[in-house]
Amino acid sequence: MVVGDIATGTEVLVIGGGPGGYVAAIRAAQEGLDTTLVERDAYGGACLNRGCIPSKALITGSGLAHEAGNAEFMGVHADPAVDMGKMVEWKDGVVDQLTSGVEKLCKANGVNLVPGTASFVDEHTARVAHGGEGQGSESIEFEHAVVATGSRPIQIPGFDFAEDHVWSSAEALDADTVPDRIGIVGGGYIGMELATTYAKLGAEVTVVEMLDDILQPYEDDVKRIVRKRAEELGVEFHFGEGASEWSEAADGGYLLHTETEDGEESTYGVDKILVAVGRQPVTDGLDPENAGIETDDRGFIETDDRTRTAVEHIHAVGDVAGEPMLAHAASNEGIVAAEVIAGEPAALDQQAIPAAVFTDPEIGTVGLTEAEAEAEGFDPVVGEMPFNASGRAMTTGHTEGFVRLVADEETGFVLGGQIVGPEASELVAEIALAIEMGATLEDVAATVHTHPTLAEAVMEAAENARGQAIHTLNR
Amino acid sequence: MTVEEFRLPDVGEGVAEGELVSWLVAPGDRVEEDQPVAEVETDKALVEVPSSYDGTVEELFVEEGEMVPVGDVIISFRVDEDGAEADDSGSADEGDVDETSPDAGEPESAESDDAAESEPATSSGRTFAPPSARRLARELGVDVAAVDGSGPGGRVTEADVRAHANGDAGAADAGDAESDESPAPTPADVDFDDRQSVVDARGDDGAAEPSPTIDSGSSPEPAGRDTTLATPATRKLARDLGVDIDDVPTDETRDGEAFVTDEDVRAYADALESATAESAPEPEPVDVDETAAATADATAGDTSTASASAAGGETTAGDETVPYRGVRRTIGKQMERSKFTAPHVTHHDTAEVDALVEAREELKPRAEERGVNLTYMPFVMKAIVAGLKEHPYLNSELREDDEEIVLRKEYNLGIAVATDAGLMVPVVDDVDEKGLFELAAEVRDLATRARDRSLKPAEMKGSTFTVTNFGAIGGEFATPIINYPETAIMGLGAIEERPVVRDGEVVPAPTLPLSLSIDHRVVDGAVAARFANTVMEHLEHPLLLLTR
Repeated sequence: MVVGDIATGTEVLVIGGGPGGYVAAIRAAQEGLDTTLVERDAYGGACLNRGCIPSKALITGSGLAHEAGNAEFMGVHADPAVDMGKMVEWKDGVVDQLTSGVEKLCKANGVNLVPGTASFVDEHTARVAHGGEGQGSESIEFEHAVVATGSRPIQIPGFDFAEDHVWSSAEALDADTVPDRIGIVGGGYIGMELATTYAKLGAEVTVVEMLDDILQPYEDDVKRIVRKRAEELGVEFHFGEGASEWSEAADGGYLLHTETEDGEESTYGVDKILVAVGRQPVTDGLDPENAGIETDDRGFIETDDRTRTAVEHIHAVGDVAGEPMLAHAASNEGIVAAEVIAGEPAALDQQAIPAAVFTDPEIGTVGLTEAEAEAEGFDPVVGEMPFNASGRAMTTGHTEGFVRLVADEETGFVLGGQIVGPEASELVAEIALAIEMGATLEDVAATVHTHPTLAEAVMEAAENARGQAIHTLNR
Repeated sequence: MTVEEFRLPDVGEGVAEGELVSWLVAPGDRVEEDQPVAEVETDKALVEVPSSYDGTVEELFVEEGEMVPVGDVIISFRVDEDGAEADDSGSADEGDVDETSPDAGEPESAESDDAAESEPATSSGRTFAPPSARRLARELGVDVAAVDGSGPGGRVTEADVRAHANGDAGAADAGDAESDESPAPTPADVDFDDRQSVVDARGDDGAAEPSPTIDSGSSPEPAGRDTTLATPATRKLARDLGVDIDDVPTDETRDGEAFVTDEDVRAYADALESATAESAPEPEPVDVDETAAATADATAGDTSTASASAAGGETTAGDETVPYRGVRRTIGKQMERSKFTAPHVTHHDTAEVDALVEAREELKPRAEERGVNLTYMPFVMKAIVAGLKEHPYLNSELREDDEEIVLRKEYNLGIAVATDAGLMVPVVDDVDEKGLFELAAEVRDLATRARDRSLKPAEMKGSTFTVTNFGAIGGEFATPIINYPETAIMGLGAIEERPVVRDGEVVPAPTLPLSLSIDHRVVDGAVAARFANTVMEHLEHPLLLLTR
């Protein structure tokens, strides 16, 4: 113990107040455990402050502006002007409201909130350093701990986020003006969400991607629809190219230099460079090794299906515990961690965790693709409903995309779904529920859906898989 | 670390499948090489299957009570790399496995057994069960992957999880009870003073007591409401059970209206049913003697008969249910097959065995000198062989498919032995070629090993005729069930002094009651009687045995 430290004790110490940590802390407190939550930055974590919520705010704002300006086919004429400063201010308001809500919820549930940076001293002790030099620190003795320190954007050599013109996603979500030209390094989901957003806000967007397509984990027909739409919005793609360096350009802007595997070089004129090549776990300053916690070669903390680390009374949840790095997965893990600590029979036992990409159009996926189902030994049957056959989709003016259901032919169990199209992020929830409940195609097809809605497409896809579709030709 | 699958090894010559009677480990348990992981039942032998790995149990692929073909994967282990080369044949692997090192990076392996017990692993494969059922499974310590789903396509419901948990708990209890129980009396060496008549024993069990019923047994009062709130599923359940939902009593209300749940409907339907059952009592069970005799040496026989007759197929409060598994079920199946395949006729007779008693008394000290405890069984066996030689159809086997009767030229006698686990029938081969002392020693060895379950499956195969000695426990006559596909079985009562008529006077004499069941397809009553006569002749004049 450091001289001058104040030693306190707690049953559950939660490190990190993001969607994994604060949820774990609240549930632990609800379980009657004395719970302390240490957060060094802002409650709500990356999701609320630098990820999901701010990006969705900007996506909505930019989408609205774009839609209004492109609705002449409906007889709507408008020439919307975007006040980026105002939009960011509105976005910040949303974020503030949510983060203060998290803080209030924690307090209302009896969670002790401690601002600062926690690091492990040993298996049962952590030290919390309060903001900056001279602010003092305290030791906290804990019975159980939940590590929920999250992740941060990966920085690549030569592109320092400290430079004004080199952005991580955080800066891209805080910009109060729209750059004329933006070069995006990485065609993953963050790169693609911001590419569509900035394209709609009027920027010239260039995406450079090492691989030969965007959105690596998704199926070809899903990617194709998103890429085509992005191209319509003016996004320029360069595949097979890695960002090598930047340099200043004569016009006051910058040059983004890329290189192919064969050494072929290209240069793109940009004003800002957004590096979105993935995220890495945050464990610096945490000293997990002092507590005996093991990390894998990428720095993620290894956990079991009860979120326990190699040290049984220390759990890890959320991004720091590895894939899937999704806020909703983190929250689920947080609840499991708290309940396991409380002695409840909780476990990570989902059949599938849905994922959404807020591109234009959106992507929503859950469970197995046809190929994955086959690989798992199922005899998959697939049903599809294209949105251009959906009445509701037509009335929104967005008919790109489809709903696809994958099921087991023998039993009819729904195994997965891929949706690309309007509101895919919402629609995927129905398929997730079907999978978890062990619903069959018949169950989905025989559930009456509201008309006219996009959700009808899920029902139609189920009927299509059964060869009984009314509104599409059966496959 | 790797996951190694383990296949059901060949547990006995020619055994193609076995019933997995019970798991001795659960997922997450740490096991060492050679540690028994399961009990497998084949041809009445209970064989323990040893682990061939040091590691952690990853997954159980077979449910208790399931028949498993030899060579099927029954369990997988997470093993250290060093131990991964152990083969699948079940033989012990001599690899240099570190037995003590926990698997680094695998938190579950660091856990002790007790942690694993309350935490079934989440299924690594895909099981179709809703989250609520999964949670319940974890709560009840059930591996959801091991539950048989009753929903569409095998979907696992909460009820399925409960049923599985109850089944398992029952099995575990039965297992414990079995091992705690005082050993059952055995046919070979029981003190005659201890024996109790079958009739008395059954009387003590309370068969005469009224069967337990609900409350006073009067019909439950129908609620007779005009409106009732219930979910559609509950309404359907009521329809299915033939219950008027407005009659179902409930204390629960929603918005001021009576609200009926599934449980209410079921409770009401059950109450209705038991009220009806009481007014029209079940008929008395038929011919209990037959059942008792069939399992004469198995103590479980009495209780199962009693509970079946009392409950009449329904379980009422206070009843105890015991899983019908393992050896019990194997015996049951065998008995059922025999009884319903071979038309049984039982011939009864009594041998007057003064000379036999004398002969045994005379020979006993000599036997003891050689370390052999001479019982009557070897004499009976030799007498039976004498009978079989004269009446070869009693030592035969009917092969229906081939439309032929095989007259066996070997004289291998199965000796029924009551054990804690149930009836076992070890076989004494070539009785015709062995002396009395040799037979006495062999019978004793087999009976002992039957009781401690160390018999090999091969030692219970190949009998041509079977002897069951229910007299050691009690009773004079019974109807033994033929050890199918043999043609006949002889049951022995106790040798006791009974009144016999000699020269017009009733005098006490040691007698041996004999019950001979035959397959009437192969043997007629007259042949049976002649066979019995030959056996009796040899028992009454033991010197005749010298001619054999």
